[in-house]
Amino acid sequence: MNHILAKLSPGECPKLLHRVVDGVCGREPPRFADYSDTWSLVEWMELLDSISSLFRVAVGKNMPDKEVLAVLADVGSGCGETVLTVLRARREEIRQALVERTNNVSSSTLQDFDWQIKLALSSDKISCLQTPLINLSLDVKENGALKAVSFEMNREELQTLIGSLEAANKVVLQLK
Amino acid sequence: MRFRFCGDLDCPDWVLAEISTLAKISSVKMKLLCVQVMKDLLGEGIDYDKAAKLTADAKFDSGDIKASVAVLTFILSSAAKHNVDSDSLSSELQQLGLPKEHTTGLCKSYEDKHTALQQRLRESSLRLGRLEGVAWRVDYTLSSSELQEVNEPTVQLRLQAQGAETGSTEATIVSISADKFRVLLTELKQAQAVMNALQ
Repeated sequence: MNHILAKLSPGECPKLLHRVVDGVCGREPPRFADYSDTWSLVEWMELLDSISSLFRVAVGKNMPDKEVLAVLADVGSGCGETVLTVLRARREEIRQALVERTNNVSSSTLQDFDWQIKLALSSDKISCLQTPLINLSLDVKENGALKAVSFEMNREELQTLIGSLEAANKVVLQLK
Repeated sequence: MRFRFCGDLDCPDWVLAEISTLAKISSVKMKLLCVQVMKDLLGEGIDYDKAAKLTADAKFDSGDIKASVAVLTFILSSAAKHNVDSDSLSSELQQLGLPKEHTTGLCKSYEDKHTALQQRLRESSLRLGRLEGVAWRVDYTLSSSELQEVNEPTVQLRLQAQGAETGSTEATIVSISADKFRVLLTELKQAQAVMNALQ
């Protein structure tokens, strides 16, 4: 990849690298359209892949600078230094992204959640119900597919859930 | 005529007809039958042998027994459903032709169990995906293929919800990162505050 990276002007290099890190962290990655003058599509894919994995491995294995430079050996030293600068600046962000990826190793993970409180007014059983109910909807990612699971709780059931989560939270706080 | 215990509607014809069946047994026996029906409504189950014995004097056949249990069930549950006080119920039943002694007995057991009956109706109202059980485990991730030193806690949560069919439960197992877990807990507490404010 290194000889490919060398095609880019030194000014453009940090910009591209930062955008690649954005992609690693789950935001928008750089677009081929912006660089189609410099590289062919095949080169672009190869470049994007190898820089992304370099950043991930460097942070994941906690590589010392020397090793990173060794991987980048045949690039001009200017570009190697730039990679290191970007790496230093974004290390914590990449680490967070890797923690997220680690959590996603589990078979089902929580992606998002939403809740809604309703006041049940009446039912076929009783004309004046007046019971508040909370709907908790969890977006669970299971084997790559998103699945929405919904729970309905009254005040007591919510109290039970919060009680359980509090107990778990206490342990989490001790670990931090 | 409209009756409060029927939800300000006409009294159904079958109820009208079976009220005269009720009048055939003694008021004491009817009160005891009321106790059995009330037990059924509160989920404790009805003793049909007892119901048969109570109505034996009046030479009820099985159809009459069923009808009197049904009409008592209707009167008691409908009155509780529309939150009718026992005095109003008493006067309305007398208007429908139930003798005074019978009415007094019925209204006495209604008055005694009124709150419990309404509570029961509230609990048995339709609920979708009722949360039934929570189990959790906190893990500390040490290392992974992605990151050599992770050292982050994660929470595994198992939530059991009532399924689409009655009696069936569906369990959802989900792992939550520490940060998301904190947000979830905070938001649930906010929701709880809103709910408590509703009372």
